[in-house]
Amino acid sequence: MEYVSPEGLRLDGRRPTEMRQLRAEIGAVAKADGSAVFEMGNTKVIAAVYGPREVQNWSQQMSDQALVRCEYSMANFSTGDRMRKPKGDRRSTEISLVIRQTMEACILTHLLPRSQIDIFVQVLQADGGTRSACINAATLALADAGIPMRDLVTSCSSGCLNRTPLLDLNYVEDSAGGPDVTVGILPTLDKVTLLQMDAKLPTDAFEDVMQLAIEGCKAIANYIKEVLQENTKQLECRRGL
Amino acid sequence: MLKSNVFNKKTRNNRIKKEVREVYLRDDIWCGASSCKTCDSSVARLTASTILVVDTNVVLNQIDLLENPAIDDVVVLSVVLDEVKNKNLSVYNRIRALCSNSLRKFYVFSNKFHKDTHVDKMDKESPNDLNDRAIRVATQWYQKHLGDTTRVLLVTNDRENKRKATEEGIFAETIESYVKSLAQPSLLDLLVQPASEDVNMEDVEDLRPSKRKLIYEEHKPMSEITSGLRRGIYHQGKLRVNRYNPFEAYVGSESIGDDIIIYGRTNMNRAFDGDIVAVELLPQDQWHEEKSLSIADEDDEDEDDVHLAPSSADDAPRTTNLVTTDEQNSVPNRPSGRVVGIIKRNWHSYCGSLEPMPMPAGSGSIAHALFVSKDRRIPKIRIQTRQLGNLLDKRIIVAVDSWDRQSRYPFGHYVRVIGEIGDTGTESEMVLIDNDIDARPFSTQILACLPPLPWSVSSKDLANPIRLDLRDLRVFSVDPPGCKDIDDALHCTALPNGNFEVGVHIADVTNFVHPGTPLDDEASKRGTSVYLVERRIDMLPKPLTEDICSLRADVERLAFSVIWEMTPEAEIVSTRYTKSIIKSCAALSYVEAQARMDDSRLMDPLTTDLRNMNTLAKIMRQRRIDRGALTLASAEVKFQIDTETHDPLDIGMYQIQEANQMVEEFMLAANVSVAEQILRHFPLCSLLRRHPSPTKEMLEPLLRTAAAIGLDLDVSSSKALADSLDRAVGDDPYFNKLIRILATRCMTQAVYFCSGDLTLSEFHHYGLAAPLYTHFTSPIRRYADVVVHRLLAASLGIYKLPSVFQDRPQLTSTADNLNYRHRNAQMASRASVELHTLIYFRKRPTDTEARIVKIRANGFIVFVPKFGIEGPVYLTPRGGQKGSGDWYVDEQQQKIVKMDGSLSYSVLQTVQIHMEVVEPQPNRPKLQLALI
Amino acid sequence: MVGLSEGEKEFIKGGISQDLRADGRKRYTYRPIYIETGVIPQANGSARVRLGSTDVIASVKAELGKPSPMQPDKGKVAIFVDCSPTAEPIFEGRGGEELSAELSGALQHCLLGAKSGSGPGIDLSSLVVVEGKICWDLYVDGLVISSDGNLLDALGAAIKAALSNTGIPRVHVAVNAADEQPEVDISDEEFLQFDTSGVPVIVTLTKVGKHYIVDATSEEESQMSSAVSISVNRRGHICGMIKRGGQGLDPSVILDMTSVANFVSRQLIEKLDSEIAAAEADEDES
Repeated sequence: MEYVSPEGLRLDGRRPTEMRQLRAEIGAVAKADGSAVFEMGNTKVIAAVYGPREVQNWSQQMSDQALVRCEYSMANFSTGDRMRKPKGDRRSTEISLVIRQTMEACILTHLLPRSQIDIFVQVLQADGGTRSACINAATLALADAGIPMRDLVTSCSSGCLNRTPLLDLNYVEDSAGGPDVTVGILPTLDKVTLLQMDAKLPTDAFEDVMQLAIEGCKAIANYIKEVLQENTKQLECRRGL
Repeated sequence: MLKSNVFNKKTRNNRIKKEVREVYLRDDIWCGASSCKTCDSSVARLTASTILVVDTNVVLNQIDLLENPAIDDVVVLSVVLDEVKNKNLSVYNRIRALCSNSLRKFYVFSNKFHKDTHVDKMDKESPNDLNDRAIRVATQWYQKHLGDTTRVLLVTNDRENKRKATEEGIFAETIESYVKSLAQPSLLDLLVQPASEDVNMEDVEDLRPSKRKLIYEEHKPMSEITSGLRRGIYHQGKLRVNRYNPFEAYVGSESIGDDIIIYGRTNMNRAFDGDIVAVELLPQDQWHEEKSLSIADEDDEDEDDVHLAPSSADDAPRTTNLVTTDEQNSVPNRPSGRVVGIIKRNWHSYCGSLEPMPMPAGSGSIAHALFVSKDRRIPKIRIQTRQLGNLLDKRIIVAVDSWDRQSRYPFGHYVRVIGEIGDTGTESEMVLIDNDIDARPFSTQILACLPPLPWSVSSKDLANPIRLDLRDLRVFSVDPPGCKDIDDALHCTALPNGNFEVGVHIADVTNFVHPGTPLDDEASKRGTSVYLVERRIDMLPKPLTEDICSLRADVERLAFSVIWEMTPEAEIVSTRYTKSIIKSCAALSYVEAQARMDDSRLMDPLTTDLRNMNTLAKIMRQRRIDRGALTLASAEVKFQIDTETHDPLDIGMYQIQEANQMVEEFMLAANVSVAEQILRHFPLCSLLRRHPSPTKEMLEPLLRTAAAIGLDLDVSSSKALADSLDRAVGDDPYFNKLIRILATRCMTQAVYFCSGDLTLSEFHHYGLAAPLYTHFTSPIRRYADVVVHRLLAASLGIYKLPSVFQDRPQLTSTADNLNYRHRNAQMASRASVELHTLIYFRKRPTDTEARIVKIRANGFIVFVPKFGIEGPVYLTPRGGQKGSGDWYVDEQQQKIVKMDGSLSYSVLQTVQIHMEVVEPQPNRPKLQLALI
Repeated sequence: MVGLSEGEKEFIKGGISQDLRADGRKRYTYRPIYIETGVIPQANGSARVRLGSTDVIASVKAELGKPSPMQPDKGKVAIFVDCSPTAEPIFEGRGGEELSAELSGALQHCLLGAKSGSGPGIDLSSLVVVEGKICWDLYVDGLVISSDGNLLDALGAAIKAALSNTGIPRVHVAVNAADEQPEVDISDEEFLQFDTSGVPVIVTLTKVGKHYIVDATSEEESQMSSAVSISVNRRGHICGMIKRGGQGLDPSVILDMTSVANFVSRQLIEKLDSEIAAAEADEDES
């Protein structure tokens, strides 16, 4: 199968190092303390943050830091074929864990002892890169909730098909069976916090593919910063500042 | 700019899935015209003042025309490419090659992703109409974009599309009128005639009213085929036409688990060799209808030609119950069927010549002719031509276009001339084309990958820690006389402990051929060097083949070495693999090496080495035979070629010396050692070679012959077969060899495979009785060995494993391509030998001795040991009424007996025959065998 | 989870009894309603409905199935509702299951009619392709993203909007006689649109104190004694009804409620129709 034409265009018209269209919206869930919708092309996720609040289960309370919890779920209609999976299957549990660990690493949990922060991410449309989209949405929702963080976390995936490194794989490219590298970075601190890859990839090719994903993360970080600034301006405006 | 593309897709289990794909529309897709000021001109291809936009139907049907250099400045839209790809992959590959060919001016315009040429589906618009509209929109865009400087012409053969285009103010023409406007009449022959439903009244042959009826059954519509396949009424498979009887074909069906036989063109129902077809089984009582096959059957086809004796089952005609008497074998053994539909066509172009016919009155007018393909599996093809007089005595290439129900033969069109019939050059080129062999000179890009000449071992190579300096060893090579591509050399040193150190040194080709380079790509495509009688088509460019890699005498060369320590009993104590530098002290021929060993006066160190090696080799060989390796025999023919005329001067069997066997033995051992090493390190991605055990059915003809002469063969294992072959000694000295030759042709050929695709037990090499085998020793002329060299280097940690090996499907397809290329190379060699045999006997009618190898209803097939050829001898005159002959066949005894019992011929009997070249039709010489 | 003080409770109840609710609405006034259609492109139809801070999405997926032997001339519709934890943290894990089941059940009662398949609000016979052999199965999935009371009405409206947004590819069936499963071909060219004019709306009347109100917020719902959900179609026919909440109701009150529901539903249907039309127009434009 030809995923990159000899003219250098992917199946959806992008060039290999182009990302899909990004769109973000802060404050989609009125009752949550922080929430955001994040879209990468046809992948669309919604994240809601509740907290910091009292720890619901006393036994889990920690006296020196906040408890961060996360749940990832997919809507039945999020995939092309209707999902019939029950909640809490292994894949969701694994992704929940990945998101929790990634977000926990950037939340200043020691500033919020004996409290709990819940991050809920809901996939509305899945078209590849849901993991990354969830992390990006969660970052925005946490920021919206005003939870203290070291840095933003942004995430992006990349892969390698037809021997060409490709940024931000969509579902068709993702299911092509090539390697899929998901990277999460702290853009200001310039650290990689998340790195996952499946399938085989020679070491030197891996370098290119990972570098590409990191570039993608940086571009997303810039976009997220813009969105947050815009949001702050609007808040200021509403307050009459 | 973002667009969504939504469509419905039906999944396998009748579920309907709505797919949503994004489409990003861009403004950075350039028009590709050099006159354009706004677009990036670095990619520009189009220079003329008229540029063509071609419709899908033009690409699909007129690819031969597009490939002609007269057509240029063509815009190929991505929507056209997509449609072509869906409909015909081979045409797609050809148009893609045109687009990437820097000498041609074909430009791909990704109209789908351009913001101004993207079209969205309208309500109630069929996909076809949508594509047509997209093509018109793009054409219009070009017209507007380029303005008055350039004329943009839409070339389409779709009447509706042309009408709409004209309405929309687009210049549109059919391909015919465009070609006519070019005023080059010869181009018109390349045009494909549109398939017409009504019968062409001018048909050359079918003027008789009785023939104008429907000849073939209608093909079932696709939906009926799919539902039939699902319900198990139809069976899907690839049609394989018998090479030696084009009226018999096989369809390997997974649903039946056996081959389905298709008898006759009517049942084949217009299917070509290689087509994927749907087959319906005939009722059981019709399964054995064509039981007694004569040497050739059916009306107007040629009889069996004299050909080179087959060397394996793949070359030999498929055997069905060839000759059966009515009482015996009446139980149908194989299901037979008929083709009801063609799922995927395998039409391509074929080479051959026109059937002789009188020149029609008035030259220059259109003539209809029948084309006869060289490949006997292909039916005759009708073509129209305006240059009949020119083509009649030529070998030409013809492509197939259509085949309707009323026509006995398919319609096609002329593509190009190869040359004069009978000309050695032309006929050799036919052999190459017929076997899909690329004999073009290497491109400059490929030659640029070669190291600068003159090349010699550099100090860097010497200092390289991975390279062992073996220049002080007494290394030598033994090859056929005049061999220039020496890829193996040997050494044998006696060790103080009484053991021997034996080394096999193989040219280090991978030091020069690096993965991913054009050179490597080309070698991998060619797969193997091809040896014809008068020329060699190299896999690698000559400087590598004959100089840089060739392990010639007295020069330092890079090698990849396998070094064993062996006991005098030829037991391997240890094995080492290393890259090395060697300096061969002698390049011997087999005859020279043999002479040295035989000459007891010679006591020099080299000769001693040779004798030691020979002793070891003999032990190894015996051990191999004890394990059950088959000593098979085939008739290899050797020509002496006149250096000036390139005509054969003499012909004879190839003499095998002990020295040959000695070298062969060590090569086998090296291959086995390497196979073990690479499989140990890369259990999933090693390239190995296996030889499947022959099935009972394949050995059937051998057993039948053996039974007829009272010989008992045990075929339960290779060991048993080897032993019974050893026992098969008659009073006639040639008897054993003949039986071995017959046994050999029952075997299939060994094949390459990727170790991840099969289980360990399937790796077995039957002929060598080795559990593991691969090819390591001839990297100059076989690409498989190049692959294995890389694997071996990676297993030693010298180099990284190239990324291809990560990708199993790709490795599998590499192996498949190598098998295909090897097979073709062998077929080409055989065809070349057959061609030269014919040339040889043209001036030399000969009487000689022959052996009967097969009994047929109207004669028998003989094998001529002296020349390694095989062919039919007829007892009843051809063309006589069937069954009126006064000969009958005794199946049990494998005999053909005259009715009055006065004469009989039985299998393996020796007969005297006369060989002569006859020309029953002008320009169609063939070799005829007749009893004396 | 609404934690209210006594004073707040009194404020809510008092407001309702005086026909001036906490957010300024009258008892029978809905919050502003916003509808977007086609929000889920990979579904055959979808809609998002926002009612104040309540935010739900409904999607319709059509699959080819076999009609049940009992009703060979009807297609099948199944409704599932899922409550996302983004709406309420207590929906985490399996926490939302109970409410999801309750909502699915209520929607089935209100829209699909009896178990036997009689009297449904959605015309099931339009879903048959070949009688007894092939029909369309519609899977309706509701997802609650944000909840602030009156989920049922919001979901009902979303499903109605999603159905009117649903396009189903035209299928061509190759009929071959004795065959068990016919061969189906879909065309990409034509779509069937559903007639959704007959699909009812759901009006939930929540009894707080002596009065009942429509479109209760979650604060108001926390004070309810019982609630009756009535589905009413365009012609004013009651298509289904379900009572929730603990306390008993006087039969006369129920009759009273139905007439109120009938009245309110007319306004609601009108409002929905214009919103759906506007949403469809919006979608076509974009």
